[in-house]
Amino acid sequence: MIENIAEITKDQLLGETQKMSGQNYRFVTTSCVDLGDGNLDVLYHFDKDAKLQNLRIKAKRGEEVPSISKIYLCAVLVENEMKELFGLNVTGMAIDYGGHMLLTPEALKNPQSKITIEQRGEK
Amino acid sequence: MIKTTIPFGPQHPVLPEPLHLKLVMEDEKIVEAIPAIGYVHRGLEKLAEVKDFHQNVFLVERICGICSVQHAMAYVQGIETMMNIEIPDRAKYLRVIWAELHRIHSHLLWLGLFADAFGFEALFMQCWRDREKVMDIMEATSGARVVVSVNVVGGTKRDISSEHLAEIIRVVDQVKEDMKNMENAFLNDYTVKHRTVGVGHLTKEQAYSLGAVGPMARASGVAQDLRTLGYAAYNDLCFDMVVETAGDCWARTAVRLKEVYECVRLIKAAIDKLPKGDFAVPVKGNPTGEVISRVEQPRGEVLYYIKGNGTKNLDRLRVRTPTFANIPTLLVMLPGSQLADVPVLLLTIDPCISCTER
Repeated sequence: MIENIAEITKDQLLGETQKMSGQNYRFVTTSCVDLGDGNLDVLYHFDKDAKLQNLRIKAKRGEEVPSISKIYLCAVLVENEMKELFGLNVTGMAIDYGGHMLLTPEALKNPQSKITIEQRGEK
Repeated sequence: MIKTTIPFGPQHPVLPEPLHLKLVMEDEKIVEAIPAIGYVHRGLEKLAEVKDFHQNVFLVERICGICSVQHAMAYVQGIETMMNIEIPDRAKYLRVIWAELHRIHSHLLWLGLFADAFGFEALFMQCWRDREKVMDIMEATSGARVVVSVNVVGGTKRDISSEHLAEIIRVVDQVKEDMKNMENAFLNDYTVKHRTVGVGHLTKEQAYSLGAVGPMARASGVAQDLRTLGYAAYNDLCFDMVVETAGDCWARTAVRLKEVYECVRLIKAAIDKLPKGDFAVPVKGNPTGEVISRVEQPRGEVLYYIKGNGTKNLDRLRVRTPTFANIPTLLVMLPGSQLADVPVLLLTIDPCISCTER
């Protein structure tokens, strides 16, 4: 149902983002979705003349994904957010809040990921 | 020169909500600024996964009271797209009327706070006096002053009577006249201009590359307003975008002030063209699939990513609010500014931390 979406690998992410920047797209945000099996869907949304263009990568929780903040500085907040709330290991962020942009040290790790009652009990 | 670091916020007289800035200073001049959030994060996106998709309308309205109508609009429009629901034309117009009333009261709130920040108390009171008139309309038409809960999946929860429509026209005309009187103070007063002209300059290129949205972007010459997409009834109302090019605090004030006039025109046009008929359709089934829904809030573009799984609960509700997009502009606007200009400069992004920390 989402138009203009391209499925790419995480290795293609920086190259495709660079292309977006070269075509004068504005970075809008990312959307991270926990698929419930340890995998995450990450959508990168770009806009030009009010038309959205989207990139989708798949990654496992904890897997390293390169930061696009060297290309789009404004991605830095949402990348820190994904790292803290979903456990996506975004590397090379222009500003790294060290896992504490939103969460305090004693907070539940990755609170926005899908977690079963059994898993929560183990913690 | 020796550098000192000054914490600005999270508690500061100019900030209604907690936002922290770490300001690295050389004498009175800022050389680096790092914003910090996280004081009031509520995890509402996670809560949306355990609520019924109908209940989520009331949840998203509580992301931010000041733009609650637009939050609900973005959400219900997304759900309606997923479920192929065509809402009645009257509901589209009613949504525009309430949305633009919300934009007026948001801008008047901001203009008042801004006047207060540069010490013009009388102007602050004038703005908030007019805001009260709009809030009274909200209460009369919906029963609530801020979180009006008029949008539902399939249309609107209630209609607006012809008596109330006449009252809305009377009040918005009065607000427009009052704004004309205040415009001179905001845009031409010698002292006020000293606090706003040339302060917090953001070029068009910077605004675009940093992802600025709403009045922030339009004040720097970026002609970008999602109402041009024509959602709800905007396509029929000849929406006219307000754009300034100076890119400073003065231009951001001018955009918000002039948008109030456009809101008044849109409301009157919507009332004039308001179709007769139903204002809601029945909704059957549950949403499935993925959708992105965007609308223009008073502070700028809001994006909703919604993923449904065919049950009453959603797999994911992601919200990117306008302040979240505008915070990175502080990274380039603050360096080079004077410490005394920080409160005024910071306010011109119209920071809504309850949106940012949804």
